[in-house]
Amino acid sequence: MAKTLTQEFTKGLWQEIPPFRLVLGLCPALGVTTTVQNGVGMGLATTFVLVCANLLVSVLRKVIPAKVRIACFIVVIATFVTLVGMLMQAFTYPLYGMLGIFIPLIVVNCIVLGRAEAFAYKNPVLPSIADGLGIGLGFTMALGALGAVREVIGTGCFTVPFGPTLTILSADWYTPFAFMVQAPGAFIGLGLMLCLMNLVPSK
Amino acid sequence: MGDIIVLIISCIFVNNILLAQFLGNCPFLGTSKKLETALGMAMAVIFVLVMAGAITWIVQYFILDKFKLEYLQTIAFILVIASLVQFVEMFLKKSIPGLYAGLGIFLPLITTNCAVFGVCIINMKEGYGFLETLVSSFAYAAGFGLALILFAGVRERIILARVPKPLQDTSIGLITAGVLALAFMGFKGMV
Amino acid sequence: MNDMVKMVVVLTLLAAASGFLLSFAEQKTAPLIEMQVLNNEQWPTLQTIFKDADNLDTLVDQRFKIDLGDDENVTIFPGVYNGEPKAVAFEAKSTGFGGPLGVMVAVNLDTDEMVAIGVTVSQETPGFGSRAKDEPDLANQFKGLGLLQSFSVKADGGDIDAITGATVTSRAVCAAVTSAGETYKSIKPEILEKVKAI
Repeated sequence: MAKTLTQEFTKGLWQEIPPFRLVLGLCPALGVTTTVQNGVGMGLATTFVLVCANLLVSVLRKVIPAKVRIACFIVVIATFVTLVGMLMQAFTYPLYGMLGIFIPLIVVNCIVLGRAEAFAYKNPVLPSIADGLGIGLGFTMALGALGAVREVIGTGCFTVPFGPTLTILSADWYTPFAFMVQAPGAFIGLGLMLCLMNLVPSK
Repeated sequence: MGDIIVLIISCIFVNNILLAQFLGNCPFLGTSKKLETALGMAMAVIFVLVMAGAITWIVQYFILDKFKLEYLQTIAFILVIASLVQFVEMFLKKSIPGLYAGLGIFLPLITTNCAVFGVCIINMKEGYGFLETLVSSFAYAAGFGLALILFAGVRERIILARVPKPLQDTSIGLITAGVLALAFMGFKGMV
Repeated sequence: MNDMVKMVVVLTLLAAASGFLLSFAEQKTAPLIEMQVLNNEQWPTLQTIFKDADNLDTLVDQRFKIDLGDDENVTIFPGVYNGEPKAVAFEAKSTGFGGPLGVMVAVNLDTDEMVAIGVTVSQETPGFGSRAKDEPDLANQFKGLGLLQSFSVKADGGDIDAITGATVTSRAVCAAVTSAGETYKSIKPEILEKVKAI
């Protein structure tokens, strides 16, 4: 257990990166990654909830009785999810519109509940924050990467998160393979990325 | 009546919760390795989702809307679902042990099944009446079950095939699901 | 027993804290969210339907609300032509094929005729229902018609040509405009009262 804070943070970025190594949180990974921006936005919203929930659960870990811990986690997580939904509506309304139902669904994202149960409930505050931040940013990277693959192949464009949309593959010679931005493309894209990740050893 | 039939078809096939709306994928990949488990999960989801749909509808219109607490929707619904699942589990254990033996182990998994929570939210977003809510909850759950059972059937065969090592397990599962989703896209023009 | 009490106390406190935090956040973000909805949904439509109005730059700030009873209200945007507030626009809702559908209706206060209409929110199928918002064919048919009547598509015995392949959406637009007419009938005296101040 003698891991340093840096180790707790970086494990989420590679060794345990969701949803590749830690096969959790597939629904948002499949549902919102039609563009890079949506993927990154979803990842950041999840990171916010992860860090806040981990922090609070860790602070309260001695107070929360073991028998009702899941109920307590759910209340904490649902509160932060509602909060992030309100903030996104107030400041990034178009993005909120794109992500739609997947924002309230962070509440049932197994990653968040999983980290509260497996990590924050057993560890002090600082490592818990580092863990939440690492896993969250890893998730953001993964969603951004999947979004990039799907968007570039599917539409020929690349949306810089919170910036302009760039045309990567010119329509003059590239016919967008729209399959990738539709439902089946999500499954197949994620499956192939998972396969690539399996080719690289985890250490 | 015609509207209800359209609703049922669109919820089961066109907007299939798993393959078109991407909700409930964790249990989809987790419980689809065997046909038998898939059948149990499908039944448990239908059972819980219809009840959850009805209760969340009542909570939304008689509590949240009435007292202007719409912003508490997320927290209220997830608590309703979590306690409902717990309650159903206790009830089945005591009263109908036969059914409990079949569905029991799947019930705790349902709390974090985003299909249940997602459908409740979709029902509210679409502004369905009580009857429509019941119908759509059932139809979405049936669509979930259909996709799950079809997928489990395919997966039982994949085990017999020689899959390259990096593609094994979840990876090939996702790609198979993609092909299945492609087949379901054929229903798009139906309604 | 002690455990039981602790469980109940912890859960209750947690739920209370969460409710308190969220109601506070709701109060703080509600006006910001309203502005966002205004900028992203209503403003683009207002720009097209009031494109000839003199007060295009200020009409959002000149908006006012009218109470409809049952805790509901409608936001009215006044349009000034030749120095006088001749028209008002407001939004009416109905349900389309893919979910809620909003239509902004601008009406001439002297003649009760529609200046223009435009779809604000829609989740209709791209390429079919979405044409109600993206193409002017459907909306243009309402121009100049009296608002105080009910509208329906030709298939239902009315006068409006539905968009090919999007009858449900076209019906929803008709329903929204019809309900806008009913709202307008009941609040016209109040509107006339309020626009005097502009």
